[in-house]
Amino acid sequence: MSTTPSPVPSTREAVIIGGNRIPFSRAGKKYVRTSNQDMFTAALEGLVARFGLQGERLGEVAGGAVLKHSKNFNLVRESVLGSSLAPTTPAYDVQQACATGLEAAIAVTNKIKLGQIESAVAGGTDTVSDAPIVVSDRLRAALLDANHAKTTSAKIKALLAIRPKDLAPVSPSTGEPRTHLSMGEHQAITTAKWGITREAQDEIALASHQNLARAWEAGFFDDLVTPYKGLTRDDNLRADTSLEKLAKLRPVFGASLDSPATMTAGNSTPLTDGASTVLFSSREWAEERELPILAKFVDAETAAVDFVHGHEGLLMAPAAAVPRLLARNGLTLEDIDFFEIHEAFASTVLTTLAAWEDEEYCRTELGLDGAFGKVDRTRLNVNGSSLAAGHPFAATGGRIIATAAKLVSTKARETGQPARALISICAAGGLGAVALVESA
Amino acid sequence: MEELERLPRLGGLFVRGAVGSATKRPGGTVRLPEVAYRVAAVDTTGEAAHLAAYQELLGEPSSDVLPAGFLHVLVFPLATAVMVRPDFPLPLLGMVHLRNVARVLRPVRLGERLEVRAWAQDLRGHRRGAQVDLVAEVSVGGELAYRGVSTYLAKGFRAPDASGASAGGDPERPAWQPPMPTARWRLGGGTGRAYGAVSGDQNPIHTSALGAKAFGFPRAIAHGMYTAARALAEVGPARRGDAYEWTVEFFRPVLLPGTVDVAIRPVADVADAPADGGFVYDGWRSGKDTRHFTGTVTPL
Repeated sequence: MSTTPSPVPSTREAVIIGGNRIPFSRAGKKYVRTSNQDMFTAALEGLVARFGLQGERLGEVAGGAVLKHSKNFNLVRESVLGSSLAPTTPAYDVQQACATGLEAAIAVTNKIKLGQIESAVAGGTDTVSDAPIVVSDRLRAALLDANHAKTTSAKIKALLAIRPKDLAPVSPSTGEPRTHLSMGEHQAITTAKWGITREAQDEIALASHQNLARAWEAGFFDDLVTPYKGLTRDDNLRADTSLEKLAKLRPVFGASLDSPATMTAGNSTPLTDGASTVLFSSREWAEERELPILAKFVDAETAAVDFVHGHEGLLMAPAAAVPRLLARNGLTLEDIDFFEIHEAFASTVLTTLAAWEDEEYCRTELGLDGAFGKVDRTRLNVNGSSLAAGHPFAATGGRIIATAAKLVSTKARETGQPARALISICAAGGLGAVALVESA
Repeated sequence: MEELERLPRLGGLFVRGAVGSATKRPGGTVRLPEVAYRVAAVDTTGEAAHLAAYQELLGEPSSDVLPAGFLHVLVFPLATAVMVRPDFPLPLLGMVHLRNVARVLRPVRLGERLEVRAWAQDLRGHRRGAQVDLVAEVSVGGELAYRGVSTYLAKGFRAPDASGASAGGDPERPAWQPPMPTARWRLGGGTGRAYGAVSGDQNPIHTSALGAKAFGFPRAIAHGMYTAARALAEVGPARRGDAYEWTVEFFRPVLLPGTVDVAIRPVADVADAPADGGFVYDGWRSGKDTRHFTGTVTPL
């Protein structure tokens, strides 16, 4: 099952200069009638302003949105054209569900490492408040038939096939296309399989809020976030939440399973609007412009799991990706100073950690000799994660990369030792993307 | 062997079957007629739209290869023609579909000419009456390509092998615990009408709540073969291969509208799996332990 990784060819470094995002907002609040393009352009403009990139031709801007209207086929290019970057900056859209932002970063940093480009922005944006709503398949089929029909009577006949119920609009859902189970229901199954308790999940949620609140108070996000539409902080943050308050919430996923339901609105991420960007470059490009270098984007790995027929949990791909990434880089969990594990649900973090501690699982599923290891919980999501900040799908990657880069940079400056962060993001479709960031 | 020009239409057969059912009542021992029907050449060229409608409803990918569920829909009317004969002793209406076993031995493609045969066999006892197998076979170029065996129960009837009434019936089933679901099917009130439209089986117990009430069901019930064909589709052509066996056993009917939790799992992941390789599937009422069906899809 496991294959020996081939040697990594040596390339030049891709470095992280900094990031900028807008505060994340709960769906239906501050960013109502604000489009993906509006938000991504705002985040990008903030980045341009922060690093003086007005009129600059960057190597590339890559990013995307998960919930995207078909008219936004060139969302990122349109955002670039609406920004003060040089209009000669190329751009393209990426989509890998919740891993979109991280995958965009992997793509542009690879180009930097290969010398194809000198600088790049990766990011993502998503809105639930301004989500595209589509017509039903039956209405669409009738309209297309009418459009293809050659005679008036054939057109009328096609349109007469439309029934009143076909007119109901269809909203996007977080359901998996092949299983029709929502992401929460999928994770509830994984949670039950691993026997993750309600209390353990609520503790993760509480820590996320407390850590994010402390980071905001300490000014950690002052140079990572630009206020937008009157919002200066992530409005999902509940600094005053407590285990008692979290314990009162009613479970929302897993109610039909035999085991007790444990996943609530408190320990699951809410639907959120937002956008994020990260600036990458070659070391030379940054030094020429006297821009700060926070960290190196060292390496990345993606994985996918066989979830359709229940062999593995939908959100468990990072559990497979991280051991491969660390092995290739000659590292173990002990070598990591900061674990940035995206909190799609509190239990996603916990099932991933449980899997790495399980000898049997690591042997049979990951092809390791024994348990992968234990994550030091004091190094986990130290400045909060998606449970507190919210999770505008494609924007989460950029939020985490910027946070990780600043964390390792600060720690390396304080200790005089190199510091490393591991980023792990699970995604719909049984996908996962993980990356290694190291102080520069 | 009786030759027919073409495959009969299910609608007309149902009318005959419904009328004939009244005359078929439990009495003495029943015997099957020694007859098989054959249609020498069924041209499938004209089935493209029908196949597309089937694929869209069941979630089969668009392809010229006819899924086993579609072959069942295509040729089952010939088996039904056997059941509506006056000398077939069991009533079409009220028979309970217990199980279905189909084998695809080679892919059948749109446009191929099919030789179809159907007959009834193996009338035997069941603890609640008599059960019988309806067999439908498809050959292409003289080579057997598909064989479907549908087992029905006629309650209260007595098979010649009377011992079967106690010994040959199904043993009491052990208590059943639902596994973790791998999928959830939200079946709307129109599910029976939609499958009725592609299968031709417009039996009112599937298409209307009133029709279902007349037969003692609180609401319309899903076609069992819809649920089995959907499980077959969700395993998918890539994993079932060119030649495969597809089985289903039915328990409690699925009331419409309703939500069915489904576990479609590789045999390797299932303790005490009833098959070697391939997939096992189970369906039950979401949140309950009301078992609806179980089956297998096994590459051959």
